[in-house]
Amino acid sequence: MMTIVKPSQTLIEKTTGLMQDGMNAVAFGEYGIPEALGDARWTDELILSTWYMAETGKIPDGLNYKTGKSDGGFDRLDFKFLPESEWLRHSEEIGTTLDLNRRGDAKRKLTCDIPWYGGGMSYGSVSVNVMMSRARNSARWNSFMSTGEGGYPAPLMECKENVITQVATGYFGVEEETIQAAPIVEFKYAQGAKPGLGGHLLAAKAGEEVAKLRGSVPFVSLFSPFPFHSTYSVEDHSKHLDWIETVNPTAILSVKVSTPHDVDMVAVGSFYAGAHIIHLDGSYGGTGAAPEIAKKNIAMPIELAIPKVHKFLQAEGVRDRVTLIASGGVRTADDIAKAIALGADGCVLGTTDLVGLGCTRCSNCEGGPSGRGCPWGLTTTDVELQEWVQPDWAEERLHNLYSAMQYRIRDILRKLGLSDVSELRGRTDLLSYIGKEAGE
Amino acid sequence: MLESTGEGTTTAAAGVLTLEKFGAESALIGREMADQYHRYNIDTEEVDDVDPLPHRFLVEVGKVGLAKFILSEVFHYGLKPDVILSRPCTYGVFSGPVGGFLPRPKLCVGCLRCTVQHPDFVKVLPNPDLLALGDKYTTHGHITAIDEESKKGMVPVRGQGYRGRFGGPGFDGMLTDMSEIVRPSRDGIHGRELIGTSVDIGTKPMHLSFDSDGNIVGKTPDMFTIKVPFVFDIPPGDLGTQRLAEVLNSTCKRIDTLACMNASDVLDWGLDAPHIVPVVSSPSPETAASFPKARLIELDAWNKQAFELLRSSTEALVGVRINFTDGWQETMMKAVNNRADVIHLNADLHGRGGDGRFVSDLLKEAHMLLIEKGCRDMVTLIGAGGIVSADHLPKAIISGLDAVALDLPVLFALQGRSHGSLQTRDGVKGTLPRKMTNDWAEQRLTNLCGSWRDQLLEILGAMGIREVRRLRGEFGRSMIVTHLEDEAFEGIEGYVSGGAA
Repeated sequence: MMTIVKPSQTLIEKTTGLMQDGMNAVAFGEYGIPEALGDARWTDELILSTWYMAETGKIPDGLNYKTGKSDGGFDRLDFKFLPESEWLRHSEEIGTTLDLNRRGDAKRKLTCDIPWYGGGMSYGSVSVNVMMSRARNSARWNSFMSTGEGGYPAPLMECKENVITQVATGYFGVEEETIQAAPIVEFKYAQGAKPGLGGHLLAAKAGEEVAKLRGSVPFVSLFSPFPFHSTYSVEDHSKHLDWIETVNPTAILSVKVSTPHDVDMVAVGSFYAGAHIIHLDGSYGGTGAAPEIAKKNIAMPIELAIPKVHKFLQAEGVRDRVTLIASGGVRTADDIAKAIALGADGCVLGTTDLVGLGCTRCSNCEGGPSGRGCPWGLTTTDVELQEWVQPDWAEERLHNLYSAMQYRIRDILRKLGLSDVSELRGRTDLLSYIGKEAGE
Repeated sequence: MLESTGEGTTTAAAGVLTLEKFGAESALIGREMADQYHRYNIDTEEVDDVDPLPHRFLVEVGKVGLAKFILSEVFHYGLKPDVILSRPCTYGVFSGPVGGFLPRPKLCVGCLRCTVQHPDFVKVLPNPDLLALGDKYTTHGHITAIDEESKKGMVPVRGQGYRGRFGGPGFDGMLTDMSEIVRPSRDGIHGRELIGTSVDIGTKPMHLSFDSDGNIVGKTPDMFTIKVPFVFDIPPGDLGTQRLAEVLNSTCKRIDTLACMNASDVLDWGLDAPHIVPVVSSPSPETAASFPKARLIELDAWNKQAFELLRSSTEALVGVRINFTDGWQETMMKAVNNRADVIHLNADLHGRGGDGRFVSDLLKEAHMLLIEKGCRDMVTLIGAGGIVSADHLPKAIISGLDAVALDLPVLFALQGRSHGSLQTRDGVKGTLPRKMTNDWAEQRLTNLCGSWRDQLLEILGAMGIREVRRLRGEFGRSMIVTHLEDEAFEGIEGYVSGGAA
């Protein structure tokens, strides 16, 4: 059996150099689009345009950076822009700030400079290098990223004001210290890609450091059960939130749920239990490992859940007291703006970050036939592969990507005649649906 | 045997029972009961390919480009073998004896690192031979999934999110529900092994009647139980060979389900057994006697005279096969009113009825019709047609079936190749691998059953449902994409229900 060792600096430089040069060459059109790249949701052009933005911080010409080809949802929605003569001037004055605490209570009044933040990707599912690059990028945007359920690697403390601590059903890595350090504590009830099934970190990825942080032993499969075995009602849920409030009275509370038929009721229940953020994770969201049957079939896509919850919260009279966040299949700035127009306040991104760092969506995050995880060094803690993502490079890529996305959000807003992203919320009148041709 | 003697004293039939003896005997009884208990499980085991599908990708390496690259590497890193020998592939595509000069595409998983890292001389292409498999309904994706499930017997698990289209026609337009915070049961990932997948085949009266002494009078349930909510249908087209029949026979015996076969084949090949369902077309008074072990005999189409003849000559349950063609509703009710125990409904292999409607809608209509007539539990509904993926199984049950009949998946589970139609049963032409052995084939089908059952458990677990019998006709535990779209997008300019402009 081959022993995997940490690569030499020369090898790191050579490999990362080739990978980065190659990504740029392909994204800049120096070679044809790789024929095997992309799928209906993340098309080849979406992936390459994300690479382009991550390298340049600019919107690409000649690549569709807006939509995929999934034939529904965001991909069939478009904006009803004003005539060009009525567009606002492009300006940094166009507001993109997201309020996260609307309850008017004594907890932190947190905002993001952009209407999205980073979703949970646990240590173990990704490396510390990836986590650090996301956390530092979040700090630069006055935004946040979630630890996911795998504990809080010590280096993250450097960015603690921008790191959300997640408490999920396995309680892996949940410590008082990290809850107390967190501006936001996120309860993960379910994940969109595998709703109702819990989580599973395969043994091969539960290395020594990962296991230590999760309070386990190395190379044993780690399951997060579903559901929380202490929660079978909204009242139980409320006790959970009380518990966090006791440990960290100033943290605001986020509740991440997937999108079942009664997601609207779940959202209202979470609000009354004390949540500041209701985070809906749609069924087409990303994952490090999930049964294929779950990804496609269980629960509903986020585009269909947002209006349902938004309208229900309005009818309940509490819509302006809670922040509604959407994730699970949100890929682009256009998707974010559409989600907001459908009724969300903002979004959470996960896969987009990874694509920005080189992900080709090959679906071998969980280990693949090699058992080592992502060959791009993203979803792996393999001592060699994780070195292909160097934190400084990755942080810069994410910053560039977010810059381009913020630019595009402002571009959409100005073409709709809006001066702040909050004005877009629930404005389905600014959307149009691209109908199918007969027989399509 | 323990007996109570009142006054808080308990004695054993064979003497006074002390507290110690009570404890010991209770433990013994408990142990014996535990030893007898067998939790149902399908024993899967990975098997080798005998006729593998075309691999997913083709890998093309420009030899001149590669040679130039190697020379450049040697020039720059001559004293650093770890750098020179590093490969842009963790899966071994370039780790053969001559590296990239003779790549091994069967190992390629499509991560594309090689082609991105060396776009000037490496190309990774989708394999057209794989893409050409199947047809517009049973796609190469379904075939590769069945192949993987039959090889490994596991639930396919991968990273990243869903890659396909948004909703879609047929079963793709149906989503299954899950229970979030408030759950009807406490099934989590650790409770899946307790979820029941048994279904009853047969009939039960809508109520029981008792005489004044409390004895049951009148009709009693007449049914048997199989352990999984799927059976094997008559192999379509030219697949019905003796070899395949023998494999189906042994597989059904192993996992406790049923296989439908033409009655003449059952006789000719000596396959009469409790898990074989002979399908009869023109019964004679002696027909049923030819199948003394059968628990269910099916009539291949409704014919009152033939049905009554069969019914009167056998103790076995009697079922009737009905195609979804004009007048199927009336035919089904005639069969049920004449006390058919099982109705076996057939759509074509694309899941379409004669009127073009999809099988999920047809099944719902059948289920609701029986409910409206007050006789749903008096008959078992088995259905076939259009079931080519693990998710189709719970969706068909939600639509109203008790059990699903599998047809085409058998061909692909056994690495067979199709040369004919994949839409009409008669038009199916297939070839099974020459190197196929019965043991290999049985394990492949067992693996498929194990994988599909486990995936069914995933769906049931997410819903918090403890047994598949409770899923039958639970339309409320499904979500129809077009309905959700109507709710979400109503009022958006250009949106028309169903998505058509």
